[in-house]
Amino acid sequence: MEAERKYSYYPGCSLMVTNRSYDISTRNVAAVLGIEMAEIEDWNCCGATAYYPVREKRSYVLSARNLSIAERNSTDLITVCSGCYAVLKKTDKYLSEDEELREEIRAALREGGMDYEGKVKVRHFLEVLTKDLGEEAVRRHVVNSLDGMKVAPYYGCLFGRPFGGRDEFEFPEAMDDLIRWLGGEPAPFPLKSKCCGGMLMTTQPDMALNMTGKILRNAKSCGAVCIATCCPLCQINLEGYQGKVSKRMGSDCSIPVVYFTQLMGYAFGLDAEQLALKDCLTDVDSVFAQRGSKR
Amino acid sequence: MSEKIGVYLCHCGTNISQTVDIAEVARFAETLPNVAVVREYKYMCSNPGQEMIKKDIRELGLDRVVVSSCSPLLHEETFRAACDDAGLNRFLFQMSNVREQCSWVHSDRKKATEKAKKLVAAAVMRVAKHEPLEVRKVPVRNETLIIGGGIAGIEAALKIAESGKKVYLVERDSTIGGHMAKFDKTFPTLDCAACILTPKMVQVADHPNVELYTYSEVEEVSGYVGNFKVKVRKRPRYVDVVKCTACGECVEVCPIEFKNEFDENMSTRKAIFRAFPQAVPNAFLIDKKGKAPCRAECPAGVHAQGYIALIAQRRYADAFDLIMSDLPLPSVCGRVCYHPCEERCERGSLDEPVAINTLKRFASDWAAENGVEPAPRKRTKEGKVAVVGGGPAGLACANELSKRGYAVTVFEANEKPGGMLRYAIPEYRLPASVLDRDIERLEKLGIEIRTSSPVDDPEALLREGYGGVFLALGAQKSSSMGIEGEDKEGVMGMLEFLRAAKEKKLTCIGWKVAVVGGGNSAMDAARTAVRLGAESVQVLYRRSRAEMPAHDWEVEEAEREGVLFKFLVSPVAVLGDGKAEKVKCVRMRLGEPDESGRRRPEPIEGSEFTLDADLIVMAIGQQTDIAGGMEKLKRSKWGTIEADPVTLETNLKGVFAGGDAVTGAATVVEAFAAGKRAAESLDRYLSGKDLREGRDKEIPVAPSPSTEGVKKEPRVREPVIPSIDRVGGFREITGTIAEEDAVREALRCLRCGGCSECMECVKKCEPEAIIHDQLEETVEIEVGTIIVATGYRLFDSSRIPQYGYGRFPDVYNGLEFERLCHAGGPTGGKILTSKGEKPEAIAILHCVGSRDENYLDYCSRVCCMYSLKFAHLAKEKTGAKVYNFYIDIRAFGKGYEEFYKRLLNEDIYFIRGKASEVTAVPEYPEEEGKLVVVCEDTLLGINRRVPVDMVILSAGMEPAEGADELTRMLSLSCTYGGFFMEKHPKLAPVDTPTDGIFLAGACQGPKDIPDAVSQGAAAAAGALSLMDKGVFVLEPVTADRVEELCSGCKVCIANCPYSAIEFDAEKNVSVVVKELCKGCGTCVASCPSGAAFQENFADDQIVNEIEGILLAAKGA
Repeated sequence: MEAERKYSYYPGCSLMVTNRSYDISTRNVAAVLGIEMAEIEDWNCCGATAYYPVREKRSYVLSARNLSIAERNSTDLITVCSGCYAVLKKTDKYLSEDEELREEIRAALREGGMDYEGKVKVRHFLEVLTKDLGEEAVRRHVVNSLDGMKVAPYYGCLFGRPFGGRDEFEFPEAMDDLIRWLGGEPAPFPLKSKCCGGMLMTTQPDMALNMTGKILRNAKSCGAVCIATCCPLCQINLEGYQGKVSKRMGSDCSIPVVYFTQLMGYAFGLDAEQLALKDCLTDVDSVFAQRGSKR
Repeated sequence: MSEKIGVYLCHCGTNISQTVDIAEVARFAETLPNVAVVREYKYMCSNPGQEMIKKDIRELGLDRVVVSSCSPLLHEETFRAACDDAGLNRFLFQMSNVREQCSWVHSDRKKATEKAKKLVAAAVMRVAKHEPLEVRKVPVRNETLIIGGGIAGIEAALKIAESGKKVYLVERDSTIGGHMAKFDKTFPTLDCAACILTPKMVQVADHPNVELYTYSEVEEVSGYVGNFKVKVRKRPRYVDVVKCTACGECVEVCPIEFKNEFDENMSTRKAIFRAFPQAVPNAFLIDKKGKAPCRAECPAGVHAQGYIALIAQRRYADAFDLIMSDLPLPSVCGRVCYHPCEERCERGSLDEPVAINTLKRFASDWAAENGVEPAPRKRTKEGKVAVVGGGPAGLACANELSKRGYAVTVFEANEKPGGMLRYAIPEYRLPASVLDRDIERLEKLGIEIRTSSPVDDPEALLREGYGGVFLALGAQKSSSMGIEGEDKEGVMGMLEFLRAAKEKKLTCIGWKVAVVGGGNSAMDAARTAVRLGAESVQVLYRRSRAEMPAHDWEVEEAEREGVLFKFLVSPVAVLGDGKAEKVKCVRMRLGEPDESGRRRPEPIEGSEFTLDADLIVMAIGQQTDIAGGMEKLKRSKWGTIEADPVTLETNLKGVFAGGDAVTGAATVVEAFAAGKRAAESLDRYLSGKDLREGRDKEIPVAPSPSTEGVKKEPRVREPVIPSIDRVGGFREITGTIAEEDAVREALRCLRCGGCSECMECVKKCEPEAIIHDQLEETVEIEVGTIIVATGYRLFDSSRIPQYGYGRFPDVYNGLEFERLCHAGGPTGGKILTSKGEKPEAIAILHCVGSRDENYLDYCSRVCCMYSLKFAHLAKEKTGAKVYNFYIDIRAFGKGYEEFYKRLLNEDIYFIRGKASEVTAVPEYPEEEGKLVVVCEDTLLGINRRVPVDMVILSAGMEPAEGADELTRMLSLSCTYGGFFMEKHPKLAPVDTPTDGIFLAGACQGPKDIPDAVSQGAAAAAGALSLMDKGVFVLEPVTADRVEELCSGCKVCIANCPYSAIEFDAEKNVSVVVKELCKGCGTCVASCPSGAAFQENFADDQIVNEIEGILLAAKGA
């Protein structure tokens, strides 16, 4: 008996363009698992990055507008982007704790005929998979076991931010578990929650390349055959600059990087199109195609 | 109404008066009904304040008093006593709390004043309805229960015991001493923990007034102050504490090793152990997890885990000795047992069960080959016993009795002993030479076996001088089907057939053989026929293969040897001219299940057919064949002997019976079990003991052991001769495994039972202190006072994953480092890394878990100081660079600051900053192969990375495991973090809100040794003052019943959280036990008939109180 699994879904801007494959693989994996994800209507930017340091309150309004739309559905709100996740969660927390801020933001929402009562629970898809579904529900769908494949689970720095509700901060284990359930072996990956450099890649590339380099090098030294990510920005930083990074670090830092949803989809027997594998910038064929599919 | 009420308004310095306009409240109070006088005073609780009240009572004739001041928790007793003093019943007084509930929590003076008025009005209106109540006094017993034998509990115990009163000290561990016993040095004086602790431990153990219950837990506490009833569960130690001399000989021979908890799992200990050499009581104990499942499943209770453990240690002779003490015929059993133990083996859930029976055969055959004999037996008992029947049951009984020191004579009717083992089990499964070898060994051990000696009358044996008789007559007759032509030549019973084959009196060359039946005996018969040269062998079975009672492997082997099977057929007649030639059969179908659960076969009409058969063997069961002079024995309707299932007594006194003759045909190991059971009965019978008492003790089966980190490994296979080589003769099919295979197989055992019960310690123990069948025991004690001193547990550092505890072998917690420093620890006091090297740099991380909103909010108070101690010891012992990562240094105790200063001059680094992580990922060349502590140095304002070889996490303190349970058991409350709540944080730190129960040590909050000891002494003083007074005044504010109104519905009984209500069945009413009632009022609220009421909380009192508030509200 499958429990009824209904959620709202907030894809976020990057999943519409640069990280389309994350959106596609997420939706297809959810379909296999019987998770109903209703994309919320007319959503807007979560309020991340540029807004934050410049116009803090405006970023809350942007975020709160999304929460307000999600509130109509009375289900938990899933996002797969760790950036959106952190921002939405932070906004929700601040609004619930700071009465003055809350009233100001609500007033702004009311101007547009909306309101937010603070009833939305923001969830990362990874957390939903491991907490709400759990091992049996995932294992049941595995047709292509990862068969001991060593995967470096990379969480990045936003997934573990302590905005409440979760118990893993510094050293998350959710993706490690998930990899095990898919038949793989999570690599002991000490840098799994270190920052990838984020937006610094555009403003302070020297610093960011250094940060990315350490992560890639560490994943390789742990014996991983690929890195699994759970954030579009991490994905771009880790997969997009491997040439530059290798040059900078003085050693080969190339390693396939995939979304954890693509890894799941592969284990569930989905095809390359369903996982949008052609969007990947690294040699994911060495991970997927060579192993073949049992389906 | 003519009450005269005095109202007293306290300023509490400025605590109340700065927020509440007391003059205004006074003016208002004067207007309230019945108020005769209103006074205000700066400190009403002071002597002049109290005198003021007393004077008014005496001079103005006040009959009610209201004091408006602080919380009743603080001063209700003060003012009640003042009323008492002046001759006014102490319950004609009411207190209103305008400090905690008003002035302290409000800032608006006007509103606060209005609220104060309401509170005062409520009290005035309420007190008018108060009734005088009488206090009751209860006697206080002179004994104290102390829960927890750490340093606080020890101190309290000694203080009370010294005063001449009795102490029961209950400790969960096997030794007292608590955490302190694990410490190396103590701060700030650096004296050795053991040197100052162990004398006290010994003193406690030796004190005539202290009764020590170690390895015990408080299970239940009932009663009330002065008269507590306590149940203490004593877990079995399996070693007599009094007899054990702690010589340690047992440890040498124990084959089982576990991680040593006392060394924080950094070393190993045996299953028989003591925590440390100075343990108190200084006696060993055995770690048993329960009955090993293999033993639990074995009908004869064989100690399988024991001989497996000994084989794993290559101690085959010891293993054999153990088997011999359980079984009379080990080599036989190792071949023919159907080994139910293996089905239950926990290893099976990981890969495959341990080949238990194969190992037994290995040890037994090894002993035979190497001429090893079991330990000789001494005759220590007077009586002699006669065993009738030399089969497995009889021999098992004889073996067991001879082991217990009796002279035994076995009477066997046949020419050779062995019973069915000799005549019914085919040679290829059990060679006669093996049986002879096993039986000869029994004779060598002193058991007399008289063959060709049938016994007709068991009572004649008793008259001959045998103290008791065991009848193990077996089931000697093959059952017959009763079909037409069954008496023809060429039809044989299974037993006759097998016996003839064994005695080589029969061949089947060229014959067509039909075997009727589907059990193991049918398989034996069929496979024997194959070997006797039969042209074809067919098994006829009336059900289908799934219902066959024969073991799967027997059926498979038979098939492999060429036996054919015809299922769902049943013979109806044997045809032939004088001699059997054909058998007529009918086909069957399966109908409804019968009482055995198998589907009942029904003949299909008209389906008859015939088969050619020269020989038809009826293998459909065995019957008891008891004849001769046994007619006095009571029999069942099936012809078996009737015997008591527990004692095996028959209707004849002194005559016991067991085995197939009682149960019908069963397995060899069941016969062994019956023989052992009979031996127990005969032993009891001959020594005049009760035959039933304490028998068949229920020992719980051990829980499934952890298989974490256990590698999968296939089970050993016995060598088997190929089937092609088998059928030409009766060569034994299976062989004995090789020594190396046996050892490897034995090492697969998961040691479910903990102790393997190999009995080696029993052999070694000269004072005979070991009691393997000891049971848990519950003792009930009565005490007047209780001191809770349950201590703490160390914060689990793996909860902070970024520090790598549990991931990096060189990250240690505080207790582990204590053991590393300790001369008695895993490294003998050398501080070494996991690679066995001396560390060059050591980091000590302060505040691990403590002062951290994600884990423990509070400061654990001891970590700064023990970190400093570690720093000193590490420096002293290794000369390494030592870095302390701290937030603040809290060196608040006597001599602590001085110790800190001393450390500052010892070349030790102090970095102010909480470490953010410990990582093994190097960024710089000097970090290669090191652990790197990352932190922000908040004094320098920079980020730092410090490479080290060892990290010590100074973890904080949490309440001990089980503190929750104790909270419920003793009705205690908890404060932050789950530590027990004291009555008052400053003024009553060792009292609890429950009268007669005191706290001492870290269970009340994190604490160092000096503080814990002080509290131990203080709690002792509290308990002593109660006990010395001898009486305790009970609060009369309890519930009661109007008996006439009570309908006896028992709703209140179910609702009472203190179990203080009993039911009087005679009057059909519920009765409140006043001593137990805490006055919570739950029963009053739940009483549907209004019979329940509570003193001082009557309806009119509460209604008046509310009216007071409303009145003041209206006035404002």
